[in-house]
Amino acid sequence: MLWQIVIGGIAVGSAYALIALAMVIIYKTSEVLNFAQGDMACLSTYVTFMLLHGYGFPFWVSLPLTLLFAFVLGACCEFLFLRRAKDPTVLGLIIMTLSLEMILFGLLSWKWGSDQRELPFPITSYDTFTIGSFYVSRLEVLTFVVALVMMALLFLFFRYTKTGIAIKATQLNRDSARLMGIRTNRILMGTWGLSSVVGAVAALLIAPASTLDPYMMWDPLLKGFSSAVLGGMTSLPGAAAGGYIVGIVENLFGTYVSIEFKSAVAFAIIVLILCIKPSGLLARHYVKKV
Amino acid sequence: MAFFSTEGLSISFGGLKALADVSIDVQRNSISAIIGPNGAGKTTLFNCISGIYRAQQGRIIFKDKEIHRLPPHKIAALGIARTYQNVELFAHMTTMDNLMLGRHLFLKTGLLSGATLFHSRSRSARDEIANRDRVEQIIDFLELQAARNEFVSNLPFGTQKKVELGRALALEPELLLLDEPCAGMNVEEKQDLMIWLKDIQEEFGITCLLIEHDMSLVMEISERITVLNYGRKIAEGTPDQIQNDPQVLEAYLGGDDRAEN
Amino acid sequence: MKKMLLWTIVMALVIAVCAAGAVTAADAPGVSDTEIRIGQWAALTGPAAAWGAVARGAEAYFKMINDEGGIHGRMIKHLVFDDQYNPARTVAGIKELVEGPGVFAFVAGDCTACALAARDYLVEKKIIWMALGNAWSIKPDRHFFFIYPNYLDEAAILVKYAVETMGKKKIAFFYQNDDYGKGGLKGAQQQLEKYKLKLAAEVPVEPQDRDLKSHTMAIKNADPDVVILWVNPTSAVIMRKTAAAMKFAPLWMAPSTLADPALMNQITGGLWEGTIFSCLAELPDADIPLMKKYRAAFEKYVPKGERWGIMYMAGFGFAEPLVEALKKVGRDVTTDKVIAELDKMTDFKGIFGHITFRPEDRQGQKEVFIAEALKDGKSKRLSDWIKADR
Repeated sequence: MLWQIVIGGIAVGSAYALIALAMVIIYKTSEVLNFAQGDMACLSTYVTFMLLHGYGFPFWVSLPLTLLFAFVLGACCEFLFLRRAKDPTVLGLIIMTLSLEMILFGLLSWKWGSDQRELPFPITSYDTFTIGSFYVSRLEVLTFVVALVMMALLFLFFRYTKTGIAIKATQLNRDSARLMGIRTNRILMGTWGLSSVVGAVAALLIAPASTLDPYMMWDPLLKGFSSAVLGGMTSLPGAAAGGYIVGIVENLFGTYVSIEFKSAVAFAIIVLILCIKPSGLLARHYVKKV
Repeated sequence: MAFFSTEGLSISFGGLKALADVSIDVQRNSISAIIGPNGAGKTTLFNCISGIYRAQQGRIIFKDKEIHRLPPHKIAALGIARTYQNVELFAHMTTMDNLMLGRHLFLKTGLLSGATLFHSRSRSARDEIANRDRVEQIIDFLELQAARNEFVSNLPFGTQKKVELGRALALEPELLLLDEPCAGMNVEEKQDLMIWLKDIQEEFGITCLLIEHDMSLVMEISERITVLNYGRKIAEGTPDQIQNDPQVLEAYLGGDDRAEN
Repeated sequence: MKKMLLWTIVMALVIAVCAAGAVTAADAPGVSDTEIRIGQWAALTGPAAAWGAVARGAEAYFKMINDEGGIHGRMIKHLVFDDQYNPARTVAGIKELVEGPGVFAFVAGDCTACALAARDYLVEKKIIWMALGNAWSIKPDRHFFFIYPNYLDEAAILVKYAVETMGKKKIAFFYQNDDYGKGGLKGAQQQLEKYKLKLAAEVPVEPQDRDLKSHTMAIKNADPDVVILWVNPTSAVIMRKTAAAMKFAPLWMAPSTLADPALMNQITGGLWEGTIFSCLAELPDADIPLMKKYRAAFEKYVPKGERWGIMYMAGFGFAEPLVEALKKVGRDVTTDKVIAELDKMTDFKGIFGHITFRPEDRQGQKEVFIAEALKDGKSKRLSDWIKADR
């Protein structure tokens, strides 16, 4: 029973981890809490739905097209909204992403309505593998594997590629990065695109287990945000670890303490971390030079 | 035509004129200095040149090309590098990483290099090796071997300044802007710096424009000096001329007076 | 002295104007020689746009009535506005209609918060409102008629059917953690008490929760024969998928809020088959004359691409009793006469269950019937209309 819950927690935690990574990628470079992350991902998922259902493309065509769309969407959000802000404050930027969230949500509801839909996905959430007395659904296994692969790719990207290093430099010192010949505006656009892709992958893995509707990403976004805070907002490994921890803790809490307050666990984690260790579990605490 | 010049450069921040009609000329392969009391607009001038600020009036010309409307990364690509008074390094990276970032413009692998890293190993690898060689030369030149794999935030300030100088050199600039290169350095480090600056000028053929408060260093290595006060150019000439310029003396003494009040 | 006189005249005029306004308002607002204006607010866009189908259904219904010649020579003018599920817009829109062209009555009108916001204004303006149900805890008024049965009754009937007809004893209740869910929970508990039984498990869920593994496990561990899903469609889908993954297959029951087998079948990927659910209205594909007529009206008046589902049907159903009363009142329409006529309504049968209104009991329908979801979104009626025991 306990291990079954932990397995379930890891499975759902993988999705949270991906959302947390998406949030951290943006926060690291732009220092913006992107509350539109969920709806950006949701919009991308609807695009998949449209491609599969409306245009009848096979999944393996729709997927890359969706990811491309997600990248362009993210880049456009940065270019059309965030960049327009003139000397914005932190609060100003948060308000901007919140308004972006509302715009995207309105767009989703307007275009597709609030009807629940089923995303045709090659793998269902109810075909399971049974290992001894444990079971785990194929979708959960896929989510877990995809999350790990994404993490590995992100790690390699930030560690070894020119663009990845340029992103890191932009995050550490934007002016200096520009003086190194790094096009920081483009980097910001790129990180929003990248983040949007990661978020879209998460949403694509969440949709088949529930329904596709405009509210789809609200709950996962909250959990992802809580995971990112747990990991310190700036640390990619921290965010990933945070995702798994939130997933496991939440499921344990729901089973052994109170199912009614299961969803509140994520909130509690945010508050607790901000009170006790605002730099998060894994982040190096650094004070920004003024 | 001068190698580098500014013409009537002006910029103000909310009514405060930080630069007013500043024109300077820099000859190729020279070492020039800009001096002046605190708040004279020296760093603002550097920020305008490197594209961080955009001058409201005037022109900046580098190798017969107007650059005052270009963004910083384009100016960097044209061959102007700079260092900061307070060091602006990538704190959570090693010395090597910082210098490699200076090579950013020379790295050929593009956005998809992550995907091609394993396929076109030879090309990526050759590119990487060539750039690392260049960085190694700079490390040897500035005697940074011991700091190579240290996080720069853990290094002493004087060493950080050297790393920043090294990073600027990694860009292979033609014009190097140095903002108080020896601030916070001890006497020995200053001696080294003076030698390196000479080498940079003579061996690498890089033109240097520096802001400096240390008058002994300025007078010893600069060929031409420009004096700014309250955003205006009040004098220019050779070290000898500047040392005997009554306006300059007045500015420095006046500045001191005000500081005491 | 002159000034006093002037004031008196002004005051008299003001009073006269007000009184005149009051008289016309109490008489028959929104009724002219040629038309009766009926208003409706609906979320045509925004988060709850699915509810917009109710308004489009009512629209089609009124068009049908008009094409049949209207009501005693008057055409019905249906004034719908989009409140986007936003109470502020609801109130503004109602005011615009009432104080602009004038409205005789409102039909349906979704969204708890919107309905609550609208209530006081409608009371003040004395406007008839054929509301969905009083499950929203809307304070009754002389002008309000609630059509749907409340959740307590509906849950009680489901439990009654499970125990008395199907012989099940171990029932688990999975409910949305709000008034809707708790209403159902209470109804189920009360009904079970009559059999000296208790629920095997009571598991609440937040409507936004997307991970229901612990919920499912909590229910599965109680090993029930029947699980009643008193939740929104999304939670029901996640629960069914999670349960399927856990190889947990009890008998599933659902209330009328999930009584759209075609939709549920589609969004559960076929898992909905076999679900026993309660219905407030005849099944959309029922083979009865009235339903055939409405289906024909739907084909005729609703643009292609829409689906004949329970939302559309509900649009027809909510408007039926009002039209029935208007027909009976005759040519001389006033608010009071229509209220009196509605209060005489006994066992009126449209596509909903039998509706009876009395001045002291404005809860119109008190019955549901039971159906079973079949393969491919079809359904089969299992019972006749069943009334709650209370």
